[in-house]
Amino acid sequence: MRDVQHLSNSSTAGVLLDLSGAVMLLLAFACLASKLFNRYVVYYGAQSVVLGFAAGTSAVAFHSTELWILAALTLAVKGIAIPVAARRVLVERLALKRDAAMSTGLSTSLIAGGALTAFAYLVTRPALLPQGTVAAAVVPLSTAVILLGALAMVVRRHTVAQLIGWLIVENGVFLGAITLVATFPFIVEAGIFLDIVAGVLIMIVFVSGLTRQLAQASATELRELRG
Amino acid sequence: MTALAVLIVLAPLAGPAAALAGARARLAALVQSAGAAVALGCSIALLTTLNGGRPLEGWDGFLYADPLSGFFLLTVSGVTLLAALGSISYVAAQEDTGELTGFQVKLYFTFFGLFASLMLASLETGNLGLLFVLVEGSTLASAALVGLEGRSRSLEAAWKYVIISSLGVTIALAGTLFLFYSASALHPGSNLALTWPYLFAHAHALAPQSVRLAFLLAVVGYGTKVGLAPMHTWLPDAHAEAPSPASAMLSAALLNTGMYAIIRFLAIAHARLGGTYPSAVLLSFGFASIVIGALFMVRKGNFKRLFAYSSVEHMGIIAVALGFGGTLGLYGALLQVLNHAVAKAVLFLASGDVSLRYKTREAAGVTGLLTAAPVTGAVLLLASFAVLGSPPFGVFLSELTIVRAGFARGIPAFSLLLLALLGVAFFAFARTITSMVTGDPPRPAPASPYRNRAAVAVTAAPLLLGLAVLLVLGLWIPAGLDATITHSAAVIG
Repeated sequence: MRDVQHLSNSSTAGVLLDLSGAVMLLLAFACLASKLFNRYVVYYGAQSVVLGFAAGTSAVAFHSTELWILAALTLAVKGIAIPVAARRVLVERLALKRDAAMSTGLSTSLIAGGALTAFAYLVTRPALLPQGTVAAAVVPLSTAVILLGALAMVVRRHTVAQLIGWLIVENGVFLGAITLVATFPFIVEAGIFLDIVAGVLIMIVFVSGLTRQLAQASATELRELRG
Repeated sequence: MTALAVLIVLAPLAGPAAALAGARARLAALVQSAGAAVALGCSIALLTTLNGGRPLEGWDGFLYADPLSGFFLLTVSGVTLLAALGSISYVAAQEDTGELTGFQVKLYFTFFGLFASLMLASLETGNLGLLFVLVEGSTLASAALVGLEGRSRSLEAAWKYVIISSLGVTIALAGTLFLFYSASALHPGSNLALTWPYLFAHAHALAPQSVRLAFLLAVVGYGTKVGLAPMHTWLPDAHAEAPSPASAMLSAALLNTGMYAIIRFLAIAHARLGGTYPSAVLLSFGFASIVIGALFMVRKGNFKRLFAYSSVEHMGIIAVALGFGGTLGLYGALLQVLNHAVAKAVLFLASGDVSLRYKTREAAGVTGLLTAAPVTGAVLLLASFAVLGSPPFGVFLSELTIVRAGFARGIPAFSLLLLALLGVAFFAFARTITSMVTGDPPRPAPASPYRNRAAVAVTAAPLLLGLAVLLVLGLWIPAGLDATITHSAAVIG
């Protein structure tokens, strides 16, 4: 039993992976249902911690050093560093509180989220994955997480919300990777982390620049309109 | 051979090194051009050894180059050279007028070199996971170029670009994942299951359902970078807001790098699933892009957006050609990649000169270009006709090949549709360009943005060089290039 492809969904590791997937999906829904920037960041951080836990579970099941490193990196980078940075640099410094820039109401986006989850099960369940394996149980969940992240990016117009949406999509892909193939080769894995960190940094620069210019623009408008 | 491959990736970093060492725009751009010239020379040298020889393999499949990689290396390094030459006068003029600060100039060359280097590296790897990493890296480096000018419009365009492309490439990562999974019945090591030559050689044993999904996700994902409709929405904004030489790099190098990734997935999908399914996917996205590109070109407005929509259209044409398949279709697709790259690089570099002179990017604000700036005006006019597929330029030849490929496949309706759409694009594009080059220049006549006559000559050099290449490719395809394209088409199958 060396391959993750043959891990059954009733083994301890299988049940834990399935559970992690379900919790991650719930956290993606929580993010979609929230209106506060603070909460987005907290839910994303919690989702990443669960992802790290899932990687740790696989690491125990397969005695894999690479998976241990992946779990540690996930916890450190996605669970701690990115949420802390997003909170300090974006939410607090730009004084972001409530997200008003939504193109649909919360209930509509939640219903759409439910429909996307059902769709994820419909497309991934039949034929693609062998029945009874952990992949057949978790890949629909990870697909749903990917779709919910993308949905959050579509219905939210605020840049910070879109950034969090992208990170949730990324988490979904990683959850799928853990159950489908265990890990990418180490160099690739490290490269992906590097990309995510660089991506978040450059996005933070753009978001701060844009928000500051918007604030300046509205301040000038206010001055022009006086008296 | 390995040394050549490494040098190709390292040479474009000369520009960043010079800029970080404190060189001013003119010197940094010269060093950047020298680096790009070295990369181009090495690409040609590598290509001649690859032609007919064995592919270059090393480092557990992380390094891999066959004629297909060689062909794209040639295209991308050639475009990099043109764009670097174009940067000499463009960035220096902006530095002189104070539009760009010293810090921005430094950023420009740092990210320009990094962008080129990452793209070239992504063409040399056989590992599809590393391909994702490098393509995403090149997105980030080029996003910094798009947002360079720091105005709210360019920041917005950069944001749109980085977030849409990152999402797209992440979808491509999911596709890569399913391809990886499709090989699990073979029990390869974890490296091998992501290595393209291994997957291609064992395509018959891959799980077909996963390959189908992987191919679709890869086309959607990397198609976002290519600018295939309906994932093209970032493209016009990013091309319009980036400094002109960077727009040339985006349109002529970055889009092709995405197309290269799609071709790698196509080869595996074709080998496992046969032609029907991949064709259907590529033809749908291809025609959608041509229609969107042609329709949006009808609107008169920002001329850089016009060129950007023309890129959407051309990427659609290439996807359609890949969808037609067969020797003719693949040959036409690759020839079109090269021709479009050169033509679009020339057009964007010319647009840089126009926007420096007229201080506007709106087509309505530009008249009498042939009188005000005869060389740029003539180049703009000729390159426009070249990109629209008029003889005697290269694009005519490649588009003709593609139309013939449709007839050869027995789907003449698609070929006729393609011809009709090319006609629409022709009139839409030519209408704007002719109104820009003819007539009287505005009064007072736009002042020259350059310091001296030497700078004017330097501006003209890449334009004339590119135009000459286009003309040559229309009249005569060198034997070496012909062999490369034939070998590359054979790689795809």
